[in-house]
Amino acid sequence: MKTNQRADQPLLSVEGITKSFFGVRVLHGVSFELWPGEALGLVGENGSGKSTSMNILGGVHQPDGGRMSLAGQLYAPQSPREAGRAGIAFIHQELNLFPNLSIEENLFITDFPKRGGVPFIDRGWVRKRARELLAEVDLDLPPTRLVGNLAQGERQLVEIAKALHADAKVLILDEPTTSLTRREVERLFAIVNRLKSRGVGIIFISHALEDVMHVCERVTVLRDGAVVGTDLRERLNVPAIISMMVGRSIDAIFPERSTKPREEVALRVRGLTQRGVANDVSFDIRAGEVVGLSGLMGSGRSELARLIFGLDPIESGTIEVAGTRLMRPTPKASMAAGLAFLTEDRRNEGLLMDASIVDNIGLTFLKRFRVGPGFVGGKALNTTAGELARMVHLSTDRVQDTLAKHLSGGNQQKVVIAKWLLRRPKVFILDEPTRGIDVGAKQEVYRIINRLVEEGGAVFLISSEIEEVMGLSDRILTINKGEITGSFERSGFDREAILAAAMAPVGPKREATA
Amino acid sequence: MLVSEAVSRRAEREAGRSRWKAAARFILSEYLVLALCVLYTLVMIPFVPEIATVEVWQNILSDMMPLLIVCLGQTIVLIIAGIDLSVTAIISLASVVGASIMTQSDGYLSGPLAAPAAMAAMLLVGAGIGLLNGLSITRLNMPAFMVTLATTNFFGGSAIWYTTFHSTTTSIYDLPDMFISIGDRDIAGIPIAVVIAVAAALIVHGVLAYTILGRWLYAVGKNPRTAYVSGVPVRTTILSAFILSGMLAALASIVYTARLQTGTPILGERILLDVIGAVVIGGTSLFGGKGKVIWTVFGVLFLVLIDTTLKLLGASLFVIYVIKGSVILAAALLDTLRTRYLGVR
Amino acid sequence: MNSRNRITILLLQAAPYLLFLAILLVFGSLSDRFLSLANFTNIVIQAAPVAILAIGMTFVLLTAEIDLSVGAVMYLTGCILGLYLGGVPWPIGLMVVLVASALLGAVNGALVAYLGITSFIATLGTLFIGRGIAMSVSNTASVYFPEAITSLNRATVFGIPSAIVAVAVVFVIAWVLLQQTPFGRQVYAVGQDRDAATKAGLPARRIVFFCFVISGALAGMAGFVSSTQIGAITASYGLQAEFSAIAAAVLGGTSLFGGRGGVKGALFGALLIQTAANGLVIINANPYIYPLVTAGIIFIAVAVDGLRSHMLERLERRFIRPWEIA
Repeated sequence: MKTNQRADQPLLSVEGITKSFFGVRVLHGVSFELWPGEALGLVGENGSGKSTSMNILGGVHQPDGGRMSLAGQLYAPQSPREAGRAGIAFIHQELNLFPNLSIEENLFITDFPKRGGVPFIDRGWVRKRARELLAEVDLDLPPTRLVGNLAQGERQLVEIAKALHADAKVLILDEPTTSLTRREVERLFAIVNRLKSRGVGIIFISHALEDVMHVCERVTVLRDGAVVGTDLRERLNVPAIISMMVGRSIDAIFPERSTKPREEVALRVRGLTQRGVANDVSFDIRAGEVVGLSGLMGSGRSELARLIFGLDPIESGTIEVAGTRLMRPTPKASMAAGLAFLTEDRRNEGLLMDASIVDNIGLTFLKRFRVGPGFVGGKALNTTAGELARMVHLSTDRVQDTLAKHLSGGNQQKVVIAKWLLRRPKVFILDEPTRGIDVGAKQEVYRIINRLVEEGGAVFLISSEIEEVMGLSDRILTINKGEITGSFERSGFDREAILAAAMAPVGPKREATA
Repeated sequence: MLVSEAVSRRAEREAGRSRWKAAARFILSEYLVLALCVLYTLVMIPFVPEIATVEVWQNILSDMMPLLIVCLGQTIVLIIAGIDLSVTAIISLASVVGASIMTQSDGYLSGPLAAPAAMAAMLLVGAGIGLLNGLSITRLNMPAFMVTLATTNFFGGSAIWYTTFHSTTTSIYDLPDMFISIGDRDIAGIPIAVVIAVAAALIVHGVLAYTILGRWLYAVGKNPRTAYVSGVPVRTTILSAFILSGMLAALASIVYTARLQTGTPILGERILLDVIGAVVIGGTSLFGGKGKVIWTVFGVLFLVLIDTTLKLLGASLFVIYVIKGSVILAAALLDTLRTRYLGVR
Repeated sequence: MNSRNRITILLLQAAPYLLFLAILLVFGSLSDRFLSLANFTNIVIQAAPVAILAIGMTFVLLTAEIDLSVGAVMYLTGCILGLYLGGVPWPIGLMVVLVASALLGAVNGALVAYLGITSFIATLGTLFIGRGIAMSVSNTASVYFPEAITSLNRATVFGIPSAIVAVAVVFVIAWVLLQQTPFGRQVYAVGQDRDAATKAGLPARRIVFFCFVISGALAGMAGFVSSTQIGAITASYGLQAEFSAIAAAVLGGTSLFGGRGGVKGALFGALLIQTAANGLVIINANPYIYPLVTAGIIFIAVAVDGLRSHMLERLERRFIRPWEIA
């Protein structure tokens, strides 16, 4: 292959790395190679060992066994700083920037150049070097701009510029496209390609397999702490990768539902408008129906969900839940009417990380367990929470003394689902219910959704994975720029048509022509 | 031979580990502070033999009561990740307002209703300042620390100013006997102050442990966003916490004022360290979401115990300052050690 | 609606300055002595100790910590100065005070940065320990300062009163330190996000430690300046000084949550508080209302800051349909 022709030795080679935590082996001899100027996709379910491998590469953890070499030299970093000095730059999903400082200050925060002898920052040099670095990542912004005023994609490029300043040989990108708009993703890919042409090796970790296939020459699949396979992009496709990741075939993923949508409308939204967020949104969801909402990143999917649930104010429009109009939507009022909302931000909005499973589950409906003047019937709550935990197949039944933060992502999500099921919602809004959870847990989430719908509940499903929306929904709405741009019945599901509708032009231009 | 050696070494290691575990469990246990109290008392017996007498313990008990009442309120506020520095000003202002109403030398009221009316007014002062604190935090988006720092200065100053209208000295005297009896009478052999404090402690414990409001308080302290999305009335919960804290401070002021038999505007001035210190020594976290009445009871006991023994030893105020300051630092250090090395919290 | 929003924000942003203006107008109309150069010089001199304290406090607040012990440091180092350094030339006295107070700051810094104790509790503890020690060395009696030190109050440099010179020097050094050195920028980074700073390889603990050392040293400096002004200190000296210092810093726009603010604000805040106090004296107001007015001003300033950040948060939200908002 052409990457092999560029150099006679790999830039980075990882051989038989093993690692255990608390006696549990999480890596069983991971091996792969990275050649200069190539992008290697690293994929696998959560818990497959991706992050542990990368943390070892980045010097956060030290391996128990195996060896690594960087450009032919033995490489065994003891700290992230050492890894950085050796030429490995790790760009985390959560960016490591300071919004209260300017771009240039962020670029040089660890090693400000000082003016000969005196301990003052050489501002002139900083400005010049910052301009050069920004030009290299195609970011046309003044270096004095506060990072707090940058868009997510721009911040990521600042991080990459920082890596360039550190003269990184290997760039590790962890889920770099998750929070970017499509345009930002394209710009990122252009820069990745430019870095490749300069001989930088790139490790691209992502759940977005399309992105991986687009930008990586080779893909390494991890499962259960070991490499299942590495192959050239040309010899792989997305279903093949998925089946390597899960070890089973893809069509088993979406379980069938036995019921059809009923007649009565569970959620009726009419003319929902909030300046800057949503414009004249109208749709119905019937009882026993799953309506999927598909849209690109930044199309206003989550924002619409938040408006409906009353987390953000609305200017005009009406929301009816099972025939009752919500007068002033707040989470409390929406919940009383029968809405439930699984937020995409599990950590900050979905769970009390420091609280037990019971306390998390009970929070949405403490009044159900009320005895006397404001007391909580603890026993009844514990029993019910235990039942719900079993219903969602939680990994533990110690619901009273297990804290949410000690659960895996998938189990945490099940707790969030359970806490809403406690209210027996008529309409369940699910915003990215499977984000960041592994395939096994995804399956269980799908099963829970089906069960809820079979019992007559309505589900409003928001997901950035189009397969998921197609696999679960009875109907799909597409959204772009806060407007509904299309509606598809299950019989007419067509990937390309849905995507086209999600990208349908919306905005002032269209309004002007209309 | 080799095998048996390995086995015995392993047994040794395991014994070591279980000993470590037992030690860890002890340090983590909520009775640690109580155990330290007992230990401290035993150690002090040779130096302060009086500590083994009933009289001293009656003193300790009566010293504990008003402090405990204030600390109950502070515990609630710390649970929601707030802080209430205004309790000292509430104690002072409530004291002089109450005294000005019921004093028999030219008070606003006289007769049998004076004392109850005055006490109601005192509780109202506490509730009012608590309400102001709470509204500032929930409606004006102000940090609790700054709000209560400002209100404590404002109402602390007000208390001193208010006194000048009602007294030519720095205090208001001649309180009715009915009121003073709170400080020195018994009900069935138990001092009234103790009855009030124990009742307050039981009620606060009941609220925290068994009510919906209690669960809301912990949830808001752990994560207000999640609580809001889950339908918890976050603002009302915060408001309730500060109103409760204000009223409990006012209740403490009733007990303090009755014991002193005078209304004085500097009543609360010196107890801020004791209040925060006792709650934190007990183990309630400044970061919210964690705290219990029983912890606070132990914290108050520990602090008062130290105070009492030092006074019995004839230590001067500055020694007491230094030792109390150190004890609080030690408690805080213990808490960080718990968090850091035992992965708790 | 949007232009209204913008105006509201501008008003909130300008609120501390408007407050300052209002104070000037109110007292200026009540007394003709108030709006005079001599009185302003006086205000700056009176504000000097709090200004220096507030500048030190700014360093600590920028790292999202708090230092409640500054008043105790003033009292303790004041006792050392008055009791043991009466005979030495004042520069040596000042040096000793600075070193001693920096050491006390280092104790706070070590407790917070290296032992991981919450700064609120750590400095509350050292506040009492410090005051206890000071009361023990002074026997809670008044401590008098020798003429060599009190005469500094009347000294001038090129006609500028010594207290103003002291503030100016401290301010310039602190400003350069925060704005023009790597350390200063790293203080902002650590205050914004301690974890991110550590991950980026910044010595976060050391930075927090040094901010406490600076706060301690400047508390000593503030104590020294105020010693020259008042001539004697009692057991209540420095009580609630931390309140004035925090208030001045926050009035000037420094956030309690770290990463936002600066020493310019601290200077402004101290002047604002002192101007109000001075005005009250000049119009012969009832001395009992002084603390009420100060607390009221601080309450208003914090409320304005809370509303402003709330509004900014709402306005800075990203919109999906940006053309509707502009």
